[in-house]
Amino acid sequence: MTIEKSLLAVFSDLEPAADAIEQLRHLGVHDDCMNVISGVPVTEAMLGRPNQWTNVPRLAMGGAILGFIAGLFLAFSSPTSYEIQVGGQGFAPVPVAIVVVFELTMLGMLLSTFLGVFLDSYFPNYRPMHYVPEVSDGKIAVLIECPQADEQKITDALKKLGAESVQMAEAQHL
Amino acid sequence: MSDKKHHNPEEHFREQHLMLDPMPRGQMNDMVMESMHTTSWKFWVVAAILAVISFIGLGVDWYRLIMEGQGLAGVMRPDYWGIFLVNTVFWIGISHAGTFISAILRVFKAEFRRPFTRAAELMTTFGLVQAGFSIFMHMGRVWLSYWLMPYPNQRQLWPNFHSPLSWDLLAITTYLLSSTMYLFLPLIPDMAMARDRSTGWRKTFYKVLALGFRGTEGEWAHLRTAMNIFAFAIIPVMFSVHTIVSWDFAMATRPGWSSTIFGPYFVIGALHSGMGAVVMVLAVVRGTMKHMKYFIRPEHFEGIARLMLIISMAWAYFFFNDYIVQWYGGDKWTKTLLHWHEAGPMGWMWFAMLIFNIAIPWSILWNKKWRSTPWLLFIVGLLINVGMWFERYIIVPISVTINRMPFTWRLYQPGIEVPMGIGTVAFFILLYMLASRLVPLIPVWEVQEGQMAHSLTKFGRETVMTVSELE
Repeated sequence: MTIEKSLLAVFSDLEPAADAIEQLRHLGVHDDCMNVISGVPVTEAMLGRPNQWTNVPRLAMGGAILGFIAGLFLAFSSPTSYEIQVGGQGFAPVPVAIVVVFELTMLGMLLSTFLGVFLDSYFPNYRPMHYVPEVSDGKIAVLIECPQADEQKITDALKKLGAESVQMAEAQHL
Repeated sequence: MSDKKHHNPEEHFREQHLMLDPMPRGQMNDMVMESMHTTSWKFWVVAAILAVISFIGLGVDWYRLIMEGQGLAGVMRPDYWGIFLVNTVFWIGISHAGTFISAILRVFKAEFRRPFTRAAELMTTFGLVQAGFSIFMHMGRVWLSYWLMPYPNQRQLWPNFHSPLSWDLLAITTYLLSSTMYLFLPLIPDMAMARDRSTGWRKTFYKVLALGFRGTEGEWAHLRTAMNIFAFAIIPVMFSVHTIVSWDFAMATRPGWSSTIFGPYFVIGALHSGMGAVVMVLAVVRGTMKHMKYFIRPEHFEGIARLMLIISMAWAYFFFNDYIVQWYGGDKWTKTLLHWHEAGPMGWMWFAMLIFNIAIPWSILWNKKWRSTPWLLFIVGLLINVGMWFERYIIVPISVTINRMPFTWRLYQPGIEVPMGIGTVAFFILLYMLASRLVPLIPVWEVQEGQMAHSLTKFGRETVMTVSELE
């Protein structure tokens, strides 16, 4: 059985981090075994990384559909439970329904978008995690999962490519 | 002038534009943290005064209103809608600035927005809180406010969704929730930054609000996607809120109110007062908080002032459109109302509205130097807000005075509404001041992202600023 190790390499800039990721691939580290941590949104293309999957748009769509159904219920179904004629209008006129359905659709979509970030990112998460505070100072950290046998080889390669530090990643309370 | 001062065009660009004057990220973080931590005794004196005014207006006076009834307010036939509703419309208007600046400018990739989006978004949330207070004050029996909620009573009678007041509840709730979420999402990385630099109770506070954010690729991807969805989706919500507020009036077949243009007229009015308020907040933040002169520069005031000028012109267009159609129609009661607006006892307010909303902005904001001067823009923003408050006062209690039953005509004389309204202003400022001690007002990561995207390029002999699209 191979013993897995976690390494955390810190780079001062984007360029050496991108070079390091490319080199890691040459050394046999799969993309799934790397993660980049940064203080600004660095796009996948800048680092030559595969696109990140996110469920947020789907969740937003799901929320919009639920909101739409809730709006339809309030606009068309609720007036029938106790029928009162209002202003000479029908029980459930379409112009009124448009306003109600629009607001609830948007509320459903935006609430589920917000919750989507929480679900996809596992927020809130206060357990110990691999992290270096220097990231919020503009450094870029690359978290690598590798077999223990490759640890030295990878550390040397990363240092050669300009890593400021390469250390064993230890989970810590943020 | 600065062209002469700097022989080197690069130096000139750096002085003018935040995006071309990058500092190391750590240094910017420290500046923002220091701006939150540096508090003089004057701050606490002002905060204490505001707390007392808020307590009197929103505590003591509201308690009296609840205990003794709406008779303490000046509302009486025919003016059942008074300052409480003026303030509701006013505060919802103020709240439009945050969304406008943050969402619309984000969608259109207006780069100058970056350092002050959060300052504007905070106004949205705190403005809506005051709008909520004002509506509950108007409601009178606040303990029954849950009747508005969309659920049936014992007789299976649901709220009446034919009423614009029910639409208001849905629209304002949607807007309050979505603008608060939109404020919070881009705040998460800055909370993480503050967490990494804090100790004691502040560390716990930021740790809880940072939610465990580290800045992994996945976290950024989810956040970026969500912010894009919010930026696009919150714009129609923003438009719907003030349109529905206008329908509270326009759906009534009253002289002066029954207007098909009231929706967009109210939206543009909201943006007018909102932008005026943003510029006031930025001038105060820049003048009083440490290091803010680096982040908020004359270029930002210039950019906002241009928008203010365009919005002032659009407001004038909608106002005139609304006015001339009513005037031309020749309806007896409408003519009487228009005459009452201009030549009645509150005619001074009608003319002041036009001077503050049109004449002053147009005569000052055309000049680049003037519109880059923070203190002058503060005054323009203040006058616009006074003018827009007057506009709402004319639409609500003054217009309600004139109806088709002349024997009921009576000039509205406000009572307890005045100190309670002042209480909302004081509480808004107090909330903002306290937030400025706890929330990083500058979205540092957005500023850094912008600085990464900007550069200077030479075309022949000329050096120009260029922006790369990093997304």
